[in-house]
Amino acid sequence: MSTHTTQSAHDEAQTTDILRLEDVTKQFGNVTAVDNLSFSVSEREILGFIGPNGAGKSTTFDCVSGTMAPTDGEIYYRGENVTGVPQHALVEKGIARTYQTFRPLNDRTVLENIALSQMPNSLFSFADFRADTEQRAREICEQVGLGDVVDQTPDELPHAGMLRLEIGRALGTDPDLLLVDEPFAGLTSDEIDRTADLFTSLREGGMTLVVIDHNMHGLLDLVDRVIVISFGEKIAEGTPAEIRDDPTVQEAYLGGEI
Amino acid sequence: MTQVDLEPRYVVGIVCFIGLISAPFLLPILTLRQLTAALFLGMFAMSWDYVSGYTGQLSFGHSMFFGIGGYTAAVLNLELGLTPVLAILVGTIAAGIAGLAVGFPALRLEGPYLALITLIAPLVLVQIVNIFPGTLGGDAGLPSPAGLVSVDEPIGILSTIGFETVFVHETIVYYYLALALFLAIYALFYVFTRSYVGSIFTAIHEDEDAVRSVGINAAKFKVFAFTMSGTVGGLAGAAFVHTAGEPNPGEILSIVVSIEVVLVSILGGMGTITGPAAAGIVYYFVRDALQTSSLTIPVLDATVGHISMALFFAIALLVLFFLPKGALPWVTEWSRDILERRSQRSESPS
Ligand SMILES: Nc1ncnc2c1ncn2[C@@H]1O[C@H](COP(=O)(O)OP(=O)(O)OP(=O)(O)O)[C@@H](O)[C@H]1O
Ligand SMILES: [Mg+2]
Repeated sequence: MSTHTTQSAHDEAQTTDILRLEDVTKQFGNVTAVDNLSFSVSEREILGFIGPNGAGKSTTFDCVSGTMAPTDGEIYYRGENVTGVPQHALVEKGIARTYQTFRPLNDRTVLENIALSQMPNSLFSFADFRADTEQRAREICEQVGLGDVVDQTPDELPHAGMLRLEIGRALGTDPDLLLVDEPFAGLTSDEIDRTADLFTSLREGGMTLVVIDHNMHGLLDLVDRVIVISFGEKIAEGTPAEIRDDPTVQEAYLGGEI
Repeated sequence: MTQVDLEPRYVVGIVCFIGLISAPFLLPILTLRQLTAALFLGMFAMSWDYVSGYTGQLSFGHSMFFGIGGYTAAVLNLELGLTPVLAILVGTIAAGIAGLAVGFPALRLEGPYLALITLIAPLVLVQIVNIFPGTLGGDAGLPSPAGLVSVDEPIGILSTIGFETVFVHETIVYYYLALALFLAIYALFYVFTRSYVGSIFTAIHEDEDAVRSVGINAAKFKVFAFTMSGTVGGLAGAAFVHTAGEPNPGEILSIVVSIEVVLVSILGGMGTITGPAAAGIVYYFVRDALQTSSLTIPVLDATVGHISMALFFAIALLVLFFLPKGALPWVTEWSRDILERRSQRSESPS
């Protein structure tokens, strides 16, 4: 394969893919959490990213979001190689994430938590952000369903509220690509529906989403496509229906529910 | 009620400000000298609070910054004859560079490891001072460098309003210089910590991942906090040796100074700036009162002065135990409770 064809393949990919992983590997000592993983995400897609416990889903998010650099392989965002770029720089480019274990700031209100996402990443900024910042933070609270509890502290929120806070803070960065780590765990089916509706509306606004889950329950009606990983490796890829009937996937879940 | 209510904290602030401004007219001259030194302890404590109280990067060796600032300025003035202003400027920059130099490794170190590194740094500096007793004065310290402002003869206005002798005039001038610096540093830290920068600092303290996830370079803010803290601490140290104090280890470099600054800040209320500033002043006088007290304690048959440090730290421990968040947050909460109760009472018709 000549470099020329590689280059044109990249150019082509650039027009449709917002994100592409090429042979991404992440090792912790001699544990290989992510093993030669390659996949891409199309613009305005909602991609499901599933796998059993410890499969390497969160670690994949860590690598893509810049939380930690992969041991090997490349990550392209809109055609640009962003492997190892620090998280704050990737957020500026448009990649945001939520954490599986929520990261609330317990020393401040919900509104102030969201307002953090509006603060400038510069040491000296003399513009008066206060009014604008607060207005925008309130809008985000409304958008994610925290409008009534802006003055509460995170520890007063129920689990679903904490999830909304996590999503709201990510939305505050105006992302083009949103990585959501296991949003549906611990939610009632009613809350799952509402959260899925939020994701759908975000996609209608032009956003691309990758949503992690253990299984297909919350994802069936939401996602366009699913990628399944097990022990860090991709074992299947397809529509939700295809994945459910895939024997390899069933085996990976050891007959448990997919 | 139609009268305009000024928030109590502003009233307290204004009263304190007026008190400090008029201190030379209210206090005996020796007490004024002590107050000058006490202001510097307040400045030291504020500089610690800015980095440790806000971002949570615990420094147990802040005296390295006061010492670097103070010793650099003193040596430049004594050995090379630099003017005090220039010497203070260079001392400040040197301490700022030290802040930067600590800030970077601090990114990779957490909790006890950072505390240990910062604890060791001033110990090394104390050793260096002892290795070069000629230029650095050793244990006994250096002689005072030239005063920031030289007061060689009586100042006209001060004489007309009743102050006599050059010594008194010099004391008053140094007091106002220290007060101006104290207020300037307070204002600077206040503006920064009450802006979005302070909000990012405390967010870093709470959860660095959250800060990075919204596109903020947490590392940059952490290094900035250390650098600015070091710079201001160095400025205070340098100004100290050119006004109220002498460049000796016990005043600006020893580990006791570092520990006292931490203690002052925690007692006053970490992450408030105001608390450590005020606590620094109070601390200085309480410590002094205990040290000089000749009151005899009956059973032990010792004077308070003899066991002052033990007593002092025991009191500090008690305060920490009963007010773990420090004095200022406690007073704030307490006064808020009272106000709320009062407004409830005036609202209810009975
Ligand atoms: N910081 C780390 N240090 C060492 N090992 C790690 C680290 N983070 C993850 N691992 C290991 O990597 C593997 C993948 O973990 P990861 O959290 O990515 O799985 P996951 O698919 O998100 O699982 P879950 O569904 O439980 O969230 C696990 O074996 C885990 O123990
Ligand atoms: Mg996970």
